[in-house]
Amino acid sequence: MQSDIPSRRWPWFAIGIAVAASVTVAMLSPADAVQGELVRIMYVHVPAAWLAYLAFGVTLIASIGYLLSRNLAWDRIAASSAEIGVYFTGLAIVLGMIWAKPTWGVWWTWDARLTLTAIMFFVYVGYLALRRTTDDRRARANRAAVLGVVGAVQIPLVHFSVVWWRTLHQPASILRPDGPAIQDPIMRVALLIAVIAFTVVYVSLMVKVAELHRVNDAAQAAEAGEHHPVAGASVTAPGLDPGVGNV
Amino acid sequence: MSEWGWVALAYAVAYGSFAVFSVSVAARIRAARDRLDAAVEDPR
Repeated sequence: MQSDIPSRRWPWFAIGIAVAASVTVAMLSPADAVQGELVRIMYVHVPAAWLAYLAFGVTLIASIGYLLSRNLAWDRIAASSAEIGVYFTGLAIVLGMIWAKPTWGVWWTWDARLTLTAIMFFVYVGYLALRRTTDDRRARANRAAVLGVVGAVQIPLVHFSVVWWRTLHQPASILRPDGPAIQDPIMRVALLIAVIAFTVVYVSLMVKVAELHRVNDAAQAAEAGEHHPVAGASVTAPGLDPGVGNV
Repeated sequence: MSEWGWVALAYAVAYGSFAVFSVSVAARIRAARDRLDAAVEDPR
């Protein structure tokens, strides 16, 4: 259906606009007195790390939602957000390494923040692997929801690691008791726009990855003969088939 | 490598990976829809 195409493509347009805005502002912001031009890497590294927290936080909430309601729609949200969270965590680690090499002189150090972030990355890779251990959607959702809740313990551990332990990684720049450490207003605006842009990317990817899980579940249900939905309509108009909305 | 070189590398990784991830999701959706269509046309 022609009218359906724009609604399916808006996430891709949103990602393009967000990226363009973020890059433009990051390039227009001034160099840092200490870091020089390398400060611009912060406009991608910091948002990636924040989005990892957000994504795993959404996985936590959706996992709790599933455990309380047993509605598989919550499971799809948890799975989608975890997958995107793994991507953003990996991206934050790699971007941090690219910043660390010219700044610290090493790609990696076993600092508390870096080590805990790496552990968080592998725990959520394990979450995605756990989901592939069975084709039973109910068993998969049950197991994943438990790990989705337990795994979230790491979010505050990673975030406050720079406060609780003496680390090479610098402490928070924005959310700190004595106010933001970034004094330059243009730098603050650039970082804010970058965080907003990455959030738009996250929401857009969530829409598409959730669509992917919805279609996959509908296909699996159809293959199992649970119901026989009409192609396309099965994922856009669940009201036509009482079973498909909660597959 | 110069500071701008490191910045360029970071942005290429960040936004290049956005593109790769987005394209992979779009391709997986297309494959899932094909799988759904096949299942509906030929239900077991």
